[in-house]
Amino acid sequence: MAQQLSDDELSAALAGDPSGFSAVYAVISPAVLGYFRARGVDDAEALTQDVFVDVLPKLAGVRGGHTGLRTFIFSVAHARLVDYRRRAERTPHLAEYDPLNDARYSASAEDEALGSLGGISDTLARLNEEQREVLVLRIVADLSIEQVAGIMDKTPGAIKQLQRRGLSALRELVTEKDHAAS
Amino acid sequence: MTGTRDPQQDDTIQAMLGDSGLESAAELRSALEQLRAVVPDAAPAPRADLAALLAAGTAGAAGPAAPDSATTTALPTVASAKNDADPPLPAGVTSLAERRGRKRRLAIVGGAVVGAMTLGAGAVAASSEDFRHSVSHTVGVIFQPPGHGAPAPEHVQPSPSTIPALPVPGATPGPGTPGAAPSGASARSTSSTPGSPAAGHKPPATPPAVGRDGILPTPGQRPGAPGLPASPGLPGGGGNPGKDLPRVPGHITPTLPGVVPTKAPGQP
Repeated sequence: MAQQLSDDELSAALAGDPSGFSAVYAVISPAVLGYFRARGVDDAEALTQDVFVDVLPKLAGVRGGHTGLRTFIFSVAHARLVDYRRRAERTPHLAEYDPLNDARYSASAEDEALGSLGGISDTLARLNEEQREVLVLRIVADLSIEQVAGIMDKTPGAIKQLQRRGLSALRELVTEKDHAAS
Repeated sequence: MTGTRDPQQDDTIQAMLGDSGLESAAELRSALEQLRAVVPDAAPAPRADLAALLAAGTAGAAGPAAPDSATTTALPTVASAKNDADPPLPAGVTSLAERRGRKRRLAIVGGAVVGAMTLGAGAVAASSEDFRHSVSHTVGVIFQPPGHGAPAPEHVQPSPSTIPALPVPGATPGPGTPGAAPSGASARSTSSTPGSPAAGHKPPATPPAVGRDGILPTPGQRPGAPGLPASPGLPGGGGNPGKDLPRVPGHITPTLPGVVPTKAPGQP
């Protein structure tokens, strides 16, 4: 996610020209993947690729330049996530052998060293669904309040409110965790 | 997460914290930076179909007309299967059109139920005595001006005494004279009794309206009398006695209804 789309690539992609597809994929797919990971999707990569398989042939109708493209792709990603959640609710939970549930489990050194990802996902999982979505879309997907409002079909004011509540709730969780850890 | 985007991201986080008045929360900032770190540096390796799509992009860059064919070949299951439908639906996306149709069906069923209930309620109302009375009342009021016609059907109940006289002339149109004579006699006998009290009163126009209130006892006899001239009038057209009959009721009818207003208020 180090590079930005060049104007040529963007205009090519928005014209429906497949030559811009790989640039769009290279630039935006990491954010989509991070979005799905942050939301705790099992197979985030597969879902990301589903999104791009959907999105790329339809880029011709997208307007609004960089922000429009990003908003469009994350709209599809959001819808896919909602679909995924609904499907996951209906399918039975497969309980394979989970080493974390094993009583003989001892904390992985890698997890302790890296620590970050699992920690923040767990913390996020304790937030309200909408607050979590707003925070993830704002930070991971790097979208503006207005873009998030468009994707979640809410007013910008509502998004601001959700963001503020989410941040304060997250802050409480983080400080609480720090106290517990220390 | 590293590289050129960091300053922007910092701006985003900074702006979010500033919006919420939490600029000073260091733990929160570090948590948000952790969250941002979820974004990987590189794009994930594309799956086969996606790779085909991307490859079609780079290889098919020669012609801008390529995209359609490229997408259909790259997405055989998705695009080609559903392109014949108006909106091409990607795999995993369900169309809501069916649900919309279901809603419409619900509305239709609801309308049918409401209509059926209205019909049922109407039938019940029509079968109840009070309702029929009030309706016949209103209908009678509406068709009042023809006056003489209206009271006649109403007094059907009390009229049986006179009714047998009616069918007799009707049933014996052939012989005519014998049938008409007894009817005329009965008509005189019945009409004479109400006619005598009625002699003093004049108004012919008022009776129907008031007479309906006092219907049962008194007017019952009278309509028989006006009914008679009408019914014998039919057979009377062919025979002589018919001419005699109309004359008698002709004098009586205007006076008879006059009885009603006086007796009707007196009864209740």
